[in-house]
Amino acid sequence: MDFTLSPEHQALRRMIREVVQNEVAPLAAEIDRHHIVPIETMRKIGATGLLGVCFPQKYGGMGAGEMGYCILMEEVNKVCTSTGTNVGAHIGIGAMAIYLDGNEEQKRKYLTPLARGEKFAAFGLTESGAGSDAAAIRTRAVREGDSWILDGGKVFITNGGYADTITILAVTDPTLGARGGITAFIAETDWKGFKVAREEDKMGIRGTSTAELVFEELRVPHENVLGKVGEGFIIFMKSLDMGRLTLGAACIGGSEMAVDSAVRWAKTRQQYGEELAHKQSVQWKIANMATELEALRSLVYRTAWLVDTGQPFSQLAAMCKLYGSEVASRAIDMALQIHGGLGFTRDFPLERGFRDARIGEIYEGTSEVQKIVIANNIFREHGVRVRP
Amino acid sequence: MSYLDLLMAQQEEVSEAEGGGGGVWVVADVVDGAVAPVTLEALGAARTLADALGAYVYGVLLGSGVSDQAQLLYQAGADGVRVVDDPALAQFATAPFLKVLSDLFAEEQPEVVLFGATEMGQALAPRLAQQMSGGLIEHAATLSLDEETRTVQGAVPIYGGEFFEVLACPQARPQFLTVEPGALGAPFLDRYRSGEPTALDVTLAEPDVRILGPAEGFEPPAVPLAQAPVIVAAGRQAGDFALVQRLAAALGGRVAGDRGARDAGWIEADQVIDVRGVTVSPDVYVAVGIRGDTFHNAAIEAAKFVLAIHPDPEAPIFALADLCIEGNPAEVVPALLEALG
Amino acid sequence: MRIIVILGRVLDPAGITINQRAGRIFVNREEYVIQPADRCALEVALRIKDATAAEVVVLPRGPLPDDDILRQALAIGADRAVYFTRERFKADEAVMVRLLEAAIDRLGGADLVLTGATTLDSGQGQLGPRMAAALDWPQILDAWQAEVVDGAVQAVRQDGTGYVTVEAALPAVVTVVPGAVKPRYPDGVRLVNIYKNVGEIAAALERWEVTDLVGVDMLVPLVERRGQDFPPPRERGVRLSGAPDEVAVAAAQALQKRMNG
Repeated sequence: MDFTLSPEHQALRRMIREVVQNEVAPLAAEIDRHHIVPIETMRKIGATGLLGVCFPQKYGGMGAGEMGYCILMEEVNKVCTSTGTNVGAHIGIGAMAIYLDGNEEQKRKYLTPLARGEKFAAFGLTESGAGSDAAAIRTRAVREGDSWILDGGKVFITNGGYADTITILAVTDPTLGARGGITAFIAETDWKGFKVAREEDKMGIRGTSTAELVFEELRVPHENVLGKVGEGFIIFMKSLDMGRLTLGAACIGGSEMAVDSAVRWAKTRQQYGEELAHKQSVQWKIANMATELEALRSLVYRTAWLVDTGQPFSQLAAMCKLYGSEVASRAIDMALQIHGGLGFTRDFPLERGFRDARIGEIYEGTSEVQKIVIANNIFREHGVRVRP
Repeated sequence: MSYLDLLMAQQEEVSEAEGGGGGVWVVADVVDGAVAPVTLEALGAARTLADALGAYVYGVLLGSGVSDQAQLLYQAGADGVRVVDDPALAQFATAPFLKVLSDLFAEEQPEVVLFGATEMGQALAPRLAQQMSGGLIEHAATLSLDEETRTVQGAVPIYGGEFFEVLACPQARPQFLTVEPGALGAPFLDRYRSGEPTALDVTLAEPDVRILGPAEGFEPPAVPLAQAPVIVAAGRQAGDFALVQRLAAALGGRVAGDRGARDAGWIEADQVIDVRGVTVSPDVYVAVGIRGDTFHNAAIEAAKFVLAIHPDPEAPIFALADLCIEGNPAEVVPALLEALG
Repeated sequence: MRIIVILGRVLDPAGITINQRAGRIFVNREEYVIQPADRCALEVALRIKDATAAEVVVLPRGPLPDDDILRQALAIGADRAVYFTRERFKADEAVMVRLLEAAIDRLGGADLVLTGATTLDSGQGQLGPRMAAALDWPQILDAWQAEVVDGAVQAVRQDGTGYVTVEAALPAVVTVVPGAVKPRYPDGVRLVNIYKNVGEIAAALERWEVTDLVGVDMLVPLVERRGQDFPPPRERGVRLSGAPDEVAVAAAQALQKRMNG
């Protein structure tokens, strides 16, 4: 067993830290306050090659594997959850679906510019009446010659407002349901019939675009069917599996920020004539935070290793997201408590972190859905197929 | 001049060794026609070393119109002074200065050579050390002597003076050192000491680097406030903000402030020094009229030196500051500006 | 044209705590980075390469326990890097200059040597001018930028409060001040490949045995470390008293001393 990070991953972390400090950190507070999507920052990150961190070099990526992607998510989210979410939606689900199930031509045409950071991706799954229960989606695709005509819409689509390439899940055969009746498409957002209806005003991750999209006779050529017709549900679930792992990595970043901040403040702030660091109430909080952070780190890195070595990881990935979002929320909550009134002010980054952390338990499958996935996997090993 | 003066002067007429072989040498920095303080500091240190070594101290004075500065070198401790006074040496250039010194030292074979850690010292000391197979210790902040091996030990600041590493070159001769300006302390100038400087007969080399002119349009990259080396910050009690700006200009530093300064409209949000704003780590931080609450003070914990000016003797900033002035900034800052010249 | 960039490593100061009271350095995170001034020198070299198609070769400024910073430099864009190997290799600047001179000779010479003007930790700037002395080339120290124009190097230096352009014929040695330029990031693909030892870039890192370059008798350092000295713990809260003028003079002296140091 070897728990050391490989030299290329250590070097990658150093590079990412530098990029994040220079390009992401200076804007983190401002994009949250003024609800700005930092597209220019995304372009700068893209120019370094990092938006293709986990994709093969032949498709414009870096070839640093899932572990490399986890390090990216960790380091970006340590400083700015909004930017981390933009990056995650682009790589982890948007481009990932094309990487996992695209054919050679689709990868060349769509994945390559995404990996190079020249174009941005979004993942069109959620509808107002359907999220993790993808079988309930209502967006319809009807075959017309060499094309499919899409009608319907999506909600809460991260990067939806500025993405160039979007994967869309639509019903192609209403009689078949989730398995067989749903197909994934790759669409370009400048095609006629694609419309951004609105941007959501959110509690946290305010530097992200969360868009409601409308498709009105959106014509998608048949060659843009991702995978096979009728297999869209499986394809999207595979991307979400991978996405969950990296959202766990994102939570390492958020938790680290909280621990660092709490330790720094406990060293400085004096109360009743001594630093907070000498108070047992504070020590215990920090000990708990650090322990949970370390447990999360072990879980995420092991899961990344399973992915990179081609082993089953679905159950662990759900655990990464479930546990990660809880750890991050708790860590930031405790850090805020240690900071007292300072932590509650909007000028201090913990307040932003507190709001941002909440989405971790919601997006890309709520904590409840993660528990379903985990329980499903456990019971399946015992021959029981549970209903969601 | 009194009789006593004459008597003293006669007694102190300095003498120097016959011909080459050893000695502690100091190469003088000349700024605007005058010997730089660092040279006098180096001479003072050279005097102490030479007394312990039983050696002579020599000053080397290169420049244009510098001959009358020679007596100052004697007063600071030199036993002998070598001078090249030539209009071609008005401005420092590596090649001509190097040629003079390398010829001189090849002849004299110094035991120790001290330079100021200045543009000239840093350009010449390494080149001479390389040519003469000598060791070089840069930026020495204190000098000590290992008498047994006649080795000069220099304490070199690490990470900007967080601690010092003591270095020595026990084998190589000459031992070259550059000394940090201001670190060794000014020597006593003995105005009874005087001497007859020796003008060197030299053929000057041509400079090998040409100055083409001002770098039109060149701007150095901006340094973020968090990394600025000198910061002058205003607080609620600063009074006149223009004085704070003038002080910053005089120190070549950046203007900042606490939240009070922002409330007063003196500074922008990105200039607020506070854990909720910018956390800084300057070499010098001057707090003008800043009371110093926990949120401000925590943001300057990494400052290497803090000068605080505040009218309230109980202001918390004073517990953190290295140097405290209890007083009204409106009176203290103008006096400080004057003292800074 | 061949440009040599000499670079070294430094313990990331963000990862260490120096406790003056305890007289100890605590290393919280042992991470080495390229000396900031050397990184700027590399950037200056790469800009010259972009403009004139030069070959950029990276050599170390001192003994290295591993080749990590050379890989970093290759990831950033250097064409070649040479790692000097020798058991228990110790060297100071004087030794390194001999070694570097021999290495440049073996490379087939060079037109320009670039390095940092000062090291972040020990503040040493002697390597550049020592190289210039050994090679008998002109030197431009403390440059803010440098470019090659008609067989000469033109550099910007500070002159009082302004900046001047200076020129020296090639070959020459130029040292670059820390913070002079914003260095580019490593290239992601190069970074992964050089650390995995795959692709073309893997051949760009060479290992040369020190004793193949210089005789053992030349490997004796002149400088000897004789211990560490910690300044007395900071005394805080020192009050200046007296008439405003006297107080101001004392404060001004303290400030000036600090600013020089």
